[in-house]
Order: sequence, then C-alpha cells, then structure tokens
Amino acid sequence: MTNHWIDLKNSDAILIIGCNPAENHPISFKWIEKAMDDGAKLIVVDPRYTRSASKADVYAQLRPGTDIAFLGGMINYALQNNLIHEEYVREYTNAAFIINEKFNFEDGLFCSFDDQEKTYDLKSWAYENDAAGNPKRDMSLQHPRSVYQLLKKHYSRYDADKVCAITGTKKEDFLRVAAAFCATGRPDKAGTLLYAMGITQSTHGTQNVRATAMLQMLLGNIGIAGGGVNALRGESNVQGSTDYGLLFNSLPGYLKAPQYDNVDLKAYKEKYTPKTKDAKSANWWGNTPKYITSLLKAWYGDNAVAENDFCYDYLPKWSTGHFYSKVIERMGKGEIEGLVCMGMNPAMGGPDSNNARTALGKLKWLVTVDLWQTETSIFWQRPGVDPKDINTEVFMLPAASSVEKEGSISNSGRWAQWRYKAVEPVGESKSDLWIINQFFKRIQALYTRDKGTFPEPLTKLAWNYGEGHEPDVHLVAKEINGYFTKDMTIVDKDKTLEFKKGDQVPMFKYLQEDGSTTSGCWIYCGSYTKDGNQMARRDASDPTGLGLFPKWSWCWPVNRRIIYNRASVTPDGAPFNPKRPLIAWDATEKKWKGDVPDGPWPPMKDDKEGKYPFIMLAEGHGRLYALDMKDGPFPEHYEPMESPARNLLSKVQNNPLVKVPANVSSNTAKFPLIGTTYRMTEHWQTGGMTRSLPWLVELVPNMFVEISESLAKEKGIKKGDKVKVTTERGAIEAVALVTSRLKPLNVNGKPVEQVGMPWHFGYSGLAKGDSANLLTSAVGCANTNIPEFKAFLCNIEKGGSKA
Amino acid sequence: MSTTHIDFDKTKSFLIDTTKCTGCRGCQVACKQWNQLKAEKTVFFSGEGYQNPPAMSEFTFTRIKFRDYQKHGQNEFAFYKEMCMHCNEPACASVCPVGAFHKTAEGPVVYDDKRCIGCRFCMVACPFGIPKYEWSKAFPLVRKCTGCYSRIKEGLQPACATACPTAITYGNRSDMLKEAERRLKNKPERYFPAIYGKEEAGGTSVLYLTHQPLDELGFKQVTKRPLPSYTWQALRLVPGIFLGVGGTLSAITWFQHRKDRIRREEEFKNSRVTPEQKEDNE
Repeated sequence: MTNHWIDLKNSDAILIIGCNPAENHPISFKWIEKAMDDGAKLIVVDPRYTRSASKADVYAQLRPGTDIAFLGGMINYALQNNLIHEEYVREYTNAAFIINEKFNFEDGLFCSFDDQEKTYDLKSWAYENDAAGNPKRDMSLQHPRSVYQLLKKHYSRYDADKVCAITGTKKEDFLRVAAAFCATGRPDKAGTLLYAMGITQSTHGTQNVRATAMLQMLLGNIGIAGGGVNALRGESNVQGSTDYGLLFNSLPGYLKAPQYDNVDLKAYKEKYTPKTKDAKSANWWGNTPKYITSLLKAWYGDNAVAENDFCYDYLPKWSTGHFYSKVIERMGKGEIEGLVCMGMNPAMGGPDSNNARTALGKLKWLVTVDLWQTETSIFWQRPGVDPKDINTEVFMLPAASSVEKEGSISNSGRWAQWRYKAVEPVGESKSDLWIINQFFKRIQALYTRDKGTFPEPLTKLAWNYGEGHEPDVHLVAKEINGYFTKDMTIVDKDKTLEFKKGDQVPMFKYLQEDGSTTSGCWIYCGSYTKDGNQMARRDASDPTGLGLFPKWSWCWPVNRRIIYNRASVTPDGAPFNPKRPLIAWDATEKKWKGDVPDGPWPPMKDDKEGKYPFIMLAEGHGRLYALDMKDGPFPEHYEPMESPARNLLSKVQNNPLVKVPANVSSNTAKFPLIGTTYRMTEHWQTGGMTRSLPWLVELVPNMFVEISESLAKEKGIKKGDKVKVTTERGAIEAVALVTSRLKPLNVNGKPVEQVGMPWHFGYSGLAKGDSANLLTSAVGCANTNIPEFKAFLCNIEKGGSKA
Repeated sequence: MSTTHIDFDKTKSFLIDTTKCTGCRGCQVACKQWNQLKAEKTVFFSGEGYQNPPAMSEFTFTRIKFRDYQKHGQNEFAFYKEMCMHCNEPACASVCPVGAFHKTAEGPVVYDDKRCIGCRFCMVACPFGIPKYEWSKAFPLVRKCTGCYSRIKEGLQPACATACPTAITYGNRSDMLKEAERRLKNKPERYFPAIYGKEEAGGTSVLYLTHQPLDELGFKQVTKRPLPSYTWQALRLVPGIFLGVGGTLSAITWFQHRKDRIRREEEFKNSRVTPEQKEDNE
C-alpha cells in the first residue's frame, strides 16, 4: 500500500475493485465503516455481489478480465468532465512531458512491435529530451505529444457505451461509480482505491495496476491522507516476502537480481542505477550502488571486499525466467531433481493443478514444510493414482505456527510488527528459522568436506545468528537493519555524526558504497537501531489524529506512514487539504511537521533544494505514461486469454506479448460460461490450516460454486445439487449455490453467465473437496507471469463426479 | 416480581448494528472457542447464503443468519446475529420450577446447571426460542449463551463482542440505547426506524439496529410486555384466591355442618345417657 489500513478512515470515497475486504480482511472494515460514518461513499465493483458489496453505497457488476476497460472509462470520465486535480497533474506527474515523435499507437498495438519475438522495443517510447538531457515539458499541457494529450487521445476511445458493452456493466451503474469516485479529484477530497487479486491475476495484471495508479494520480489521490493505491495483501507476511525479494528476479529491498549479462558489479550498477540531470529530482534509486554493496557485505561479511567485487560473482544470475509456472513446466519435463516447499502447496495452490500434480511425480525428492500434511505432501497417494507408480521420495517437516515463534510480520501497510512466542511448538515442529539454519549448516558442512562444484557462494557466507539451538531472530533483524563495519564520521548538513564499528546504521541515507556498511534489506534500515527494536514499539499516541500512530511498530521506509506525501502539499509546502494536513512546511523552523516527509528537502518551489514528490523515479514525476512496462506505456484493454467476446476496442484480441499454453481454449460452444475463482472469510488459501479446524469446517464444509438464478434454471440446477464444472484443463465436482448475487453479464448485447468458486478445497484435511485450480490455466501476465486465475471459460452440468 | 431490584439502565448490553455486520462469523467462532463448544457436523447449504449450522443448539450458542434476496431489483445480502436476548425480565427465570435461571445485576441471564432438572419449561416459555436441549446426552440439561458472565466479572467484554471488528458495541444499557437513538437520528436513510430489544419482551440486554424491515430479516415479533407479567397476572392472585376461596369454602363447610353439630349436642344433653350406656342398649 502507498497508505495503510487505518488511513482508510480518512477517505471521502472508497473504491473497492478486484478485491473483497469484508470477506478477506474483515477487520479492515472497521476503518472503512468509520469513514462511512463520517460521510464517505463506499463503491464496490465486482463480478459478484459480495459481502463487501452488501455494505456499499454504489455497486457495479464487472465482467472478469475487463478492468482496464472499466478503469480506462473512469480515466476518460475524469478527463472529459474536468474532474482531475489540475495543479497536481501538471506539477507532480509526467503529464507535461513530451514523448518522442516516433511514438505511435494504432489499432491495439504500440509502435515497435516485433511480430516474431512478440516484444516491444521500450526505447521507442522514450521522452524527447532537451539539450541538457532532461525530458522536454509543456506546462500548458497542450502540446500534441505531451503525455496529457496522448493520454486523453488514448482513453477517448473508452466512452461509457463502449466500456459497458465490454464489461457488461449497466451504464447507469458505471456512471454512478465514475461520478462518485471522480468527485475526489478536488484538492480537499480524498479517494482511496483498494485492490487485490481481481486486479493482479490477469494476462494484463500489471497494466490493471497501472490503470489504478493513473486514475489516482489524475485525481490527485496519491500521497494524501485517505488516498492511495492500496493493495490488500493475501498472506499475513507476504509483504515481508516481497520486501525481502523472495521472487527469482529480485533481491531484498526491491533491488534487481542480476542477469547473466550483468557480468560484474560495475556492469550491474551501470544497468540498474538510474540517472538524471535534473537537480530537482531526488532520483532515490540513484543510491542503488550503496544498497547492493551493503547487501553483499551483509551476506558475505569480511569475505566481501572491493577487490573481489564484494563477492558479486557468488550471486546466482538468471537468463530465462524462473517464475512459478516455469518451474512447474520444467519439473514436468523431469528437469528438476528436488523441490522444497515451505508453506506452499503447488498441488492445488497454482493453476492447472493436474499438470502440477503430475509434475511433482517427476521429482526425485520433495520436502514439504507445513503445520499439517497438505495436498502436496501426499500428492503421491492422491485419488486416482497408485503410489507404486511414483518414485518421488517425500519428506514432511512439521513447522511451527506464527504464535510458536518470535519475529516480525509486515502487513499490507508496510508496518513491520514484532510478534512474540506464546507457546512452545507442538511436538517436534520447528520454526522456519531453525529449519533454514539447519539446512544451511548441514549443506555448508557437506560442501566444506566434499568440495563440490563452486561451493564458495555457500561456504563463504557470513552466517552469525548465535550459538543457541534456535537461531537468534534479533541478530537476523539487526543484520537486516545493518551496521558499520568500521569507525565512521559522517557529516550530514550541519551535524557531524560519529559511529563505531558494529554500531547499527540509524537510517539508509548513511549506507555506503565502499563496504563500510552492511544492510540485509535497505528499506528496513532504521527498524532495529541503537535505540532498540523499533518494530516492537507499542505507543498508541496519534498526534495528528489521522491514524498515523507514528510510534506503533515501525514501517518502511524510515517510518514514513504515507509515501509520496510531498504530493499532499502545494509546491509551496501548504497542504492541499488543510483539514487533513499530512505534512506541512514550517517556514520559520525550516522543517516539515506531521508524517515523516518523503525527503526532508524544502518544498518543490525552493530553487536551491526543493525536490519533486515522486522520488523513486529518475524524472521525479509520477508516470501517467510508463517507460518500463513490457506491453505498453498506457494500459490497453485486451480480452482475457479465454474469453466469450471479441475485443471491441481493437483488432488485437489478447495481450500480444503473452505466450499461450497449449491447454487454453476459447471454444465457446464447449465452454460458454465465464469462470472465476476467489476466497472466503472462513477458509484461507489452500485450506492447509483452515480445513482441519472443526470450527471453520462447521461454517464452510463443502466445495461449492455460485451460479445465477437464470443459469440454474437453464441447467435445471437447484440449490444443494451436485454439479460438475469443466474447462479445457480439468473437471471438478461441487455443490451448487443458486443466488441472485451472481447475474449474467450483458456483453455487447449478449447475456453471458458466470460460475464463481472458492479455491480452498483439496483432497487432504478434515474437510475435503475438489480443487478449483484443476480448472484454471497457467497463462500469465506479460510482465510478471502471474496466472490468469480470475477469468477463464468453463461449462457446468447437473450431477457430480469427483475429480 | 423479582425480589432484588435491578437497575436495567446499568446492565451491560449489546448494541448489534446489523448495517455494520459483514457476516464474517468471527463472533460465532469466538463463542465456540471461549465456551469450548464442539463443532457440529454440517453440510452445505442449510438456509440462505453461507449460514451454518442450520440452527442454534446445545453446541451453538450464537449464529449469524444470512439473508440473500432481491427487493425492487436490488440485491439484499444481510446478516444478523441470533443469540440469547438476556431479557430484563426473563420468561425462562419466571417459569423455571427450580430457579435455575436468574437475571444478574450486571446484565447476563445466567443459568445454574446444578439446579436444572431438564423439564424444558424454559424452552416453551422463551419467546425467542433460545434455550436448547442436550439431545445428545443421557441426562440432558438445557444450554444457552451465558453472556460471558465470568468474563465481564473480570472486566472483559464477551467473547463475541471482543472478536467483532464492526457491528457489536457493548456497554451500559442506557448508553447503548442513547447510541442507537443517535445513529437513527443522524442517518435516518440508513436505518429501519426501530431498536429491536428496546421494548420487546419488556426490554432486553441485546439491542439491534437494522436497515431492512425487521420482519423481512426474520426477527420474531414479540410482545412488548415482560413475559413474566402474563403469568404474574394469574400467579399473583394465587395466595389471595387460595385464602379467599379456601377460606370461603371452609366457612361454608363450617356453616353446613353447624346444624349437625348443634343437633348432636342437643341429643346428648337430652339423653342423659352416656355414650357407653347408649351402646349397651343398642
């Protein structure tokens, strides 16, 4: 989130799209309802009338996979009706920037599309620079190649009629949503946009998110109290996972993982350190060299020195992607010998589960680490297979739950809250920290003894987490924060600071490129300092009344609760909304009051030291026009890979960059219905924990699907009947719930029905049922490869048959 | 008719604003956990929406009921928590022959299972149908929500109120009523103009606000008179009737037999025969 949970109470309008907080983050509704008590409007856009929709002032139905059409329509509505926050757009976004004259968009494709490789050349979308090397700007926003005019032109095609023909929404509902939310474009109004998997799990998922960000920038809602682009994370510590770079292409702190052609540290820094010639741009990623060096020092300690590139050569380099679906694909070909699954359940958690289950059988060995056995740990005895046919050796390691161990959990709002151990782990179960520590110690010992091929990346690691049976999580946290490797004197403006070797680094601006600092994750620098564990703070004071609670735990970066908050004030430093002053420049004291400012520099107008608000981008301005998205600088509506409809906006049916797996089908005769998956309050993820808890099983005991009354009538299905749902990938049995909360969608004049289903069920646990992911496809987003779980084609018939 | 006077304003009460309830069932599970109640074996679907179990029971003291319907083409997806109403003047306490129920000054209507004889009068009497029977046991008693009496004695809130992030507010009855009135006044378009439990059964410690009309949601229509007042009408006359009717009948009997008594006394005086001599002569 750019903002955080409690900040929701400050909103005037809350747009819920592609998420369902009432069901999946019920406690968040406390803050949403507080906002509503104070007059805020709740707007829900969803294919179904969910428990979130039941509380909404405005609800609009949306066809799965058509979010860009809907959001593009809202962008168009805001532009056409002059509802944008004009000063914000002109001064803080790249609206005024001029694009090079080669740029073009025609009939569904941007310029430079290579039909063979199915890629674009991103350089063809670049800004036009002036002599000094900075992007040219037209502050009147009239230049035909200004981002503003190009944006207007692009989304002029997204008029309400066209949008509704695509999304299936009733026009009056769409207009009601647009009017209610775009009313927050006023400087004294705040709109917050909440999203989750409905937005991300698509072949154009990244562009969906881009569209939300663009809408919010046009309305001036980024960086203000009650605003923001706010992702509802789906696991208690997935924010922590992404912060620490657990995906193959990132390193801790959102640094890029090196590729095979970043041959040395210099080449890496060259490629990934953005440059700017504009003194007003903070260009914070320009500090990349300090962060990568400090990370290497944290990992390799004294072994990492300038002479050996700080052990940069020990980092694995990737060439082709190692995203989830790719791993499963390679596993299926027998290319992977062993797999360790920690709290992960590929037998039903990922798409195309039949394929995943078969692939697991190709492994030589598998280790699963969970609280209970899962579908993955017993994949070899799943219904329909003979264990004798599977040669995988499976090890099940019992894991301790979150209340049986100490450590931090980072929530959606970037707050890292320290948790304590309440009870000893049950039986022989162990914390993940203990398990990983043991893995490392034993592998390191084997490499030391047997040498092996290129053992140094493991044998030279600095691994100092105490000598106790359980590694000391405080030592881990301190290492993440980072410390000085030698005595240092740092001059910061008018302060001279003395640090001793071994002192914790107080904040990331003191991290160095020369090896004199370490930091396991630069964005967490400041979380564990000489003043102690900031994440463990529990002071409930809230001086601004905006719910910032600055002394309750610690959030990254530098405990700044709302990021990009320099955009909440005018270029002079005065809050756009004096009733909710997030930060304000005190000209007498020459400092900012309120939240931690997004850089201590004076307001933007200050000639000498003022900075633009969007400090993480090289040009310092929010990107209405993107420079680094593989599939286009503007989000463009394409149909989901399996779709019942022709793309009404252009000749290009689907995202042109996406490779289509073999088992994808748009045969609407065979599969005339739209299928979509989602989660419920009562179960969680693959049900590994919830489907074995009797009190939860009592609430939701069976796998079910939800269908409309008209579809039920057509197929002769009554509530409680067993049904079979099929797709190109597989078939499942479920109980039917017939409800008016699902309705057919009016797609370009034709009614199209949907089948909705939770994906929590599997063949392991107290409550069993067929897995929805047997039906979904692995086809994924052009930028991130996240599978398109939310929109596929299926069919349904009365009468079940177990998968 | 209770012997100790309870200030109902000060009893701890629930304000359940169903317009804020998202049907998450946190309350349902918290109750199970606190009371260590067994989970019931259930199947989908037993009623509207996702509701489960099909009814309250000896194992389920509270339950979220779902309503899922359409009205004038608009979806209505509503949730409300059914639970013991902890009446000010509980019918269950009034009818129980062994005094196993009583309304505490703190608010909850508590139940002493050591006194219960399993007669089920309370089940018949309760207008809300709350007390449930232990059908599963060989020596069945009655079970219901305890109002988490042991928790509130320790200064905690009931388990359900503690778990609920949105709909439940807990405090003195007069404060809860004031808050309910305040919400009705501030947002009349949001609420059905009624506070269920304010006067139902003479007033209860559980107050509801709704958006939809009460009967549409499924709230029972219950008299505004305290239930004991119905039986009290008759019962309070019993001593009087007992004494009055009994006394009158006794007086009549005495009068009726007076003639016989006088006749026998006269006979005795006139006969100058001792009863023993009279017998010898017969």
